[in-house]
Amino acid sequence: MSGGVLGVALRRIGVSLPLVFLVSVLVFVVLRLIPADPVAMSVPPNATRAEIEALRAEMGLTLPIHEQFWIWFAKAAGADFGKSIAFAQPVSRLIGQALPATIELVVVAAVFATIIGLAGGLLMYRVAGGRGEAASDLASTLIMSIPEFLWAIFFILLFGVALNILPFTGRLDAGITVGRITGFLLVDTLIQGRFGAFLNALSHLLLPSMSLALGTAPLLMRVLRSSLMEVGNEDYMMMARLRGFSERRVLVHHAFKNAFLPTLNLMGVQFSFLFGGTLLVEVIYSYPGLGSLMVQAVANTDLPVIQGVALVYAVAVLLINLGVDLAALMLNPKLRIAK
Amino acid sequence: MKALLEIQGVVVTAPVGGGRVAVLRDIDLSVKPGGVLGLVGESGAGKSMIGRLVGGVLPPAFRVDRGAMIFAERDLIGMPAAERRGLLGREIGFIPQQPMTSLNPVRNVGSLFDEHLAKLGVAGRAERRAQAVAALEAVHLPEPASLLGRYAHELSGGMCQRVLIAMAFASRPKLLVADEPTTALDVITQARIVALLGDLCRQYGTAVLFVTHDLRLAAQICDEIAVMYAGEVVERAPARDLLSTPRHPYSQALRSCSPSLDGPLARLVSLPEHMPGLGALAGMAGCRFAPRCPIADHRCAGHAPPLAENAPGRWVRAAGQCLSAALPARGDVPHGKGDAEGGGRLALAAEGLHKTFVSRHPLLFWKKRRVDAVKNVSFRLRAGEFLGIVGQSGSGKSTVARMLLGLEVPSAGRIALDGADVTGRFSAHAAERTKRIQMIFQDPQSALNPRRRVASIVTQPMEVVGRSAWPERLARAKKLLAETGLAPEMAERFPAQLSGGQRQRVNIARSLCNTPRVLVADEIVSGLDVSVQAQILNLLADLRDHHEIALVLISHDLSVVRYLCDRVIVMYRGEAVEEGETEAVFRSPRHWYTKALLAAVPPDDVNHVWDPHTASSALSRLDPAIES
Repeated sequence: MSGGVLGVALRRIGVSLPLVFLVSVLVFVVLRLIPADPVAMSVPPNATRAEIEALRAEMGLTLPIHEQFWIWFAKAAGADFGKSIAFAQPVSRLIGQALPATIELVVVAAVFATIIGLAGGLLMYRVAGGRGEAASDLASTLIMSIPEFLWAIFFILLFGVALNILPFTGRLDAGITVGRITGFLLVDTLIQGRFGAFLNALSHLLLPSMSLALGTAPLLMRVLRSSLMEVGNEDYMMMARLRGFSERRVLVHHAFKNAFLPTLNLMGVQFSFLFGGTLLVEVIYSYPGLGSLMVQAVANTDLPVIQGVALVYAVAVLLINLGVDLAALMLNPKLRIAK
Repeated sequence: MKALLEIQGVVVTAPVGGGRVAVLRDIDLSVKPGGVLGLVGESGAGKSMIGRLVGGVLPPAFRVDRGAMIFAERDLIGMPAAERRGLLGREIGFIPQQPMTSLNPVRNVGSLFDEHLAKLGVAGRAERRAQAVAALEAVHLPEPASLLGRYAHELSGGMCQRVLIAMAFASRPKLLVADEPTTALDVITQARIVALLGDLCRQYGTAVLFVTHDLRLAAQICDEIAVMYAGEVVERAPARDLLSTPRHPYSQALRSCSPSLDGPLARLVSLPEHMPGLGALAGMAGCRFAPRCPIADHRCAGHAPPLAENAPGRWVRAAGQCLSAALPARGDVPHGKGDAEGGGRLALAAEGLHKTFVSRHPLLFWKKRRVDAVKNVSFRLRAGEFLGIVGQSGSGKSTVARMLLGLEVPSAGRIALDGADVTGRFSAHAAERTKRIQMIFQDPQSALNPRRRVASIVTQPMEVVGRSAWPERLARAKKLLAETGLAPEMAERFPAQLSGGQRQRVNIARSLCNTPRVLVADEIVSGLDVSVQAQILNLLADLRDHHEIALVLISHDLSVVRYLCDRVIVMYRGEAVEEGETEAVFRSPRHWYTKALLAAVPPDDVNHVWDPHTASSALSRLDPAIES
């Protein structure tokens, strides 16, 4: 049995590794194709042709394209993405600073999305067939049709400006500084025992993560509701009722675990989108994460940074999917059959 | 003795259109402590609804309008839901029809058992585990301790049913409601489950409400039988009397429309049409059986007869004229089989068919696993001859069918159709195959395209041969419909507008479109009710008389094979273990497996003693590895 789990898990990880390689090839090729010349951006306007050629050779751009790729890939595998043109800093350091902020945002958003999605799905299932059904349908459709950046603007106007109860820029208030240990503010503040700073960091996360969560949760709700309805007709549900279990127990202990499986697969897809969604939301909230870094890099045509961040995004999506697949493996015994 | 369960004048209604229709009408039944009451009827008769009524799990919008249901001196109907739930799983146990899907697929046997025993009030996880192991041992499941960690999909249907039986008997219930508990299982497993249930009920003095469509099985294991039709009890009698001398026209039909393994071979009497659905019941004022009754007349439409006792212990819902009229008996029409050795043209020859499935190891991809699904099967089929292939699931009979049709390529052996070699891929001999061999699909519901009209469906094979003009196709469709006993106006219908029996006729009509020499039918009547099944079986028999068609009938139902087939092949683990003329094989089987199969079928003759224990024990001695 456990051998089966391990086998399937190992196979799944084995498939992910070539995918990372393919994605890196794709990132590399695409950025070579766009009409931006890193040499032209790095030399002063009055440089001579000889100087330009010298720099081109120095940057390795005269080598054949596949050799260029191998050099870049070998370094990237060691987390060395080169040096940013605009910031004059190693790309890995820039990413290292921004990544924890984005992961923190995505994780908190995913937690909110899961809570809202699952609670909403159960609620929609309970009101189905009754008077609340139309209202719950309307609400979920409304929430679903609003994109996350619109939620972001709406929340800023409502909670930040009109009610003025929540902060909406950056990760911390201007006066507070937290020593860096992991880069995750929620973790660092707790390690250092600074509870006030922890609450401050959390309040800064609230609006951006809710904006992201509301873009994700409605679909989870709907899928959970419809899987619960499907599961409701299954023989084992009838059998559980006939063994005398209460409706609540039947719903929580028999229906939910089965109905959650399709929802879990969707969560994999949705949480990958969540990563992409940070791009706009981070800019709107001036949140110093990967999204903000990416937008600046694109504005400056900072190719090394774009390459590095794009690869991090790709790996993040693969990891999320891997995580979801492994979770599905834990929850669904049918996937554990080694055929 | 005082009854354990007494159902008194219960009426259950469901909303139809604007009003409500009685889906159960004036039900009066009683079960004595330790007694076994059989509820027999076809699907839609309302027999499962009575089980759901006892469990308090009627479908939404169904309502009990009248009546009482007294269980151990308490009325289950008026009782608060929480109190009723306290009885369920404790004093009243349930055994479902579909054991594999009745166990929660994401929870293992141990977790379900633990939950069940916790509800029964067994304290302590270790104590519950010990009791679960003991309960699984009591239903003869091997290695009960390791079974606790396993899931439904890792077990066979018979094993799942044993787990559910073990759970039901954990509380030594006073009443067991078994809803078609063996319908999803093959005959040998059925005999074993029946034997087990009988032993446990005797041991604990448990009374049983046994719901089944199989009158012969009910006659063997029940004390009393109630026959149901369209939501009413039409007859109640001591079990053996009901099978030997049924009185209500429907009870008589139920017996004479299902083929049997013993007794003379006679043409089946089939009832026209099918059981009325909810919508049809709404407009029915008189006797609900009248539209299908062979002796109905003008008096029946306005008069609904009551259930009356016309002899001690025998209750019949019938008017005086119903009981005196003569019904068409079973032997009236002689049943003619095609000439088996009549020297007809050879339609199909299979020589040394072999199929090995190769699957890859999940991790070590250079390792292969081989399964021999079919080993060295040969037969010859003449025009007008019907061949039956029997065996339990996994015996390789469907793989043989798929090879004949070109859906699987044999690993070894030859297939010749009408003398032409068609061994190999379907595409290599597509033209010869489509002209000469056709398939009748098992499930007409999913085999008929729901977006096409019947005329277009039955002439679908004409699209393969070449483009035909619509008038030509319509004319062909009308002819095919007439041959399969369907009205011409059916051509305009969609499959959803047809009944199950009509859909199977359309399915057969389509297979006949290109006038093939050979038909392959895989379990085509297993999903049908007996009265509809009889129509289809007679249709196939008629087709043989009118066309020189040969048929390979794959079935797990031995009596169907006996009724239709000239010769039979018994398959066991991929091998043809016995082959011969059907009557000869069934009268004096030689192989132990054939003997076990035949012994597992309840007989038609009530005086013939049938013991499910002997039927199942013979097999387990000879092959301990067989599914328990």
